[in-house]
Amino acid sequence: MPEIQTKNNTTKVLKMPYFTERKKESLTGYLYISPFFILFTIFSIFPIFFSFYLAFHRWNGLGEMQYVGWRNFKLILDDPMFWKSISNTFIMALMGTLPQLIVAFLLAYALNSSIVRFKNFFRISIFMPNVTSIVAVAIVFGTIYTNSETGIMNVVLSYFNISPINWGSNEWGLKVAISTMVFWRWVGYNTIIYLAGMQSIPNELYEAAKIDGASLWQQIRYITLPLMKPVIIFTVFVSTIGSLQLFTEPLVFLGRTMREEGITMVLYLYREAFMNNAFGTASASAVILFFIIIIISVINLLVANRLGK
Amino acid sequence: MFAKKSLYSILLIFILLVAGCSSKEKTNSESDSDSDSDGNIELVVWTFGSTGYEKFLDEYKKIKPNVTIRFQNADLADHHNNLFTAISAGSGAPDIAMIEAGYIDQYREAEDKFENLYDLGAKDIQSNYLDWTWANAESADKSFLFGIPTDIGPTVMYYRTDVFEEAGLPTDPEEVHALTSTWDDFRKVANQVKEKTGKPMTDNVNLIYYSIRDQSPETYFNREDELIIDNSPYIKNAYDYSIQLINDGVVGKISMWTPEWGTAMNDGSFGVMLAPSWMQNVIKGNAPDAAGKWSITHLPEGAGNWGGSYLGIPSQTKHADEAYAFVSWLLSPENQLKSFTEEGLFPSTPSVYSNPAFTNFSDEYFSGVNTAKLFSEAAEQVKSAYTGPGYAIANTEIGTALENVNTEGKDPEKEWKDALDRITRQLERR
Repeated sequence: MPEIQTKNNTTKVLKMPYFTERKKESLTGYLYISPFFILFTIFSIFPIFFSFYLAFHRWNGLGEMQYVGWRNFKLILDDPMFWKSISNTFIMALMGTLPQLIVAFLLAYALNSSIVRFKNFFRISIFMPNVTSIVAVAIVFGTIYTNSETGIMNVVLSYFNISPINWGSNEWGLKVAISTMVFWRWVGYNTIIYLAGMQSIPNELYEAAKIDGASLWQQIRYITLPLMKPVIIFTVFVSTIGSLQLFTEPLVFLGRTMREEGITMVLYLYREAFMNNAFGTASASAVILFFIIIIISVINLLVANRLGK
Repeated sequence: MFAKKSLYSILLIFILLVAGCSSKEKTNSESDSDSDSDGNIELVVWTFGSTGYEKFLDEYKKIKPNVTIRFQNADLADHHNNLFTAISAGSGAPDIAMIEAGYIDQYREAEDKFENLYDLGAKDIQSNYLDWTWANAESADKSFLFGIPTDIGPTVMYYRTDVFEEAGLPTDPEEVHALTSTWDDFRKVANQVKEKTGKPMTDNVNLIYYSIRDQSPETYFNREDELIIDNSPYIKNAYDYSIQLINDGVVGKISMWTPEWGTAMNDGSFGVMLAPSWMQNVIKGNAPDAAGKWSITHLPEGAGNWGGSYLGIPSQTKHADEAYAFVSWLLSPENQLKSFTEEGLFPSTPSVYSNPAFTNFSDEYFSGVNTAKLFSEAAEQVKSAYTGPGYAIANTEIGTALENVNTEGKDPEKEWKDALDRITRQLERR
């Protein structure tokens, strides 16, 4: 019970000189960590509480705030666009994450095997997309997925006798375009994490399995996958939360039109706040997003705990 | 114990918050009191894009040696976001801010955040400026002026002479205008171009719609900020006409501001672009190989305006009078003429239009058309239309509806209703 002890001390030392050695020491400690906490308070804690406060007000950013109770939540939950943005987010999260994790796992396995040479080169090139600017990525993908018949993707499709798709407005075309962007950017990150996990698996296990005549698939199935469970859980967790906050890729790809085929939850609240100046409903949707993320995280945790045992 | 502990932490958070707020206020007052004992003043001016205003600094130093002007330039979207944040927060705004015509509406409800330029003497220079562009910076009751107009964007018709030739049409600006003097004629020509060349008449649906929208005496809202597009004929008319052209198959599907849009301008994969004067720099930049293949004439049924900016004075300034003095000097007719010849900013002061230095300005890129004369004729035809704070929302949603009809082949009437529904939903939240 360290708290109790310090409390007792402070009541006792009241009659002593104000700065005892002990107090000075703890004060120095607090001073050292204070920059983080001050910035954290100003830029994170205050905005969090302020958006809860704003969620019950009507505010255009310039005039007076006006208390409106639950009106903002009603407006949002009534809006088909909001539900569309939620379903978009989940669909794109699935389309971006699932193939990405599978491919990342296979890439990591290939990198970890002894067949591949120039390992450092491949490691760096696979990770590279993750450090490129998202805006640049979105612009490059924007030229790949263009509406015109001469756009790269439409030309590729024409080889398979598929008629050109309007990637900028087609319901599934837009989602495919945005998910591939997410896939391309994050597959390297997950590969590196999987690779790190695989390198911690002792080689003897594989050797023993080979002697016993296990095939490559059996090695993956019975050695790599079970031992990688914590790492896989971690990546699933991080990717899910990350894809719920999908923002820059669709923003740059959609431009300022915010078409309903590609709008995500975060994009929806961004549109409310910074394009329509409706900060009340923007905060209300932020609050709803907050609870959705909590629910997803809890489900994630429960599943992870169950699997971990 | 726990209650006490959480009490302390709440107290700590509160103290930090107060500390955070008060320190902000302090720095604000410090940075604003930048006139020293000699009466030297520094004015901060926020601009976007390439205005070329920096070139005027030396000259102004000779007129007002005690005033130092500092320009801070950003791109259009960042600039307006920063400005909105600074004005909303009540701290950090510049002494003078450039505001694009599309962004000025959001400040209409916030007259207290800006200096009323009428109080600073703007009535005296009002007669120098075009009435309609001036009126766009006024409050609804015309008692408050947010900014002085810098430049304007009268709309014209840019057309490809090679495409017109291929379609068996004349290429001379006068003759082309005679052929497309009404929107019905324009539709006939569009169909002829499509028939003879196989190319669409326009790049996309937006620019057709914008041109007719900008010719209208009223757009989405009346001066009481009520949405009127359901009973006002103008917007629906612009919408229906655009749909007609889509159904004729003469509208391209090339989105604006994309790389293939630029390529199409260069290759001449469409016939005309209905666009404002500032688009000439966009065309030249995107289509370096098309010199002499583009020409310009008037739009059918008169011109509209798209774009242009204003210089306003946020009320956070400590030097409103000095700021106004600089703005009114910088945007005087003489200086706007210089901005035009050097940066292509089209003047908002009609007295310049008869100046020989202006009227003799022709452009070889645009087949030697006397561009200045043409744009100034367009500028004088523009009618003022009230925009209102919800303008951007309404405009985006109607644009989406048109896009859906054009690229996805959706039903125009349903799209119109859906757009109306989305507009009302977004408006009631502000």
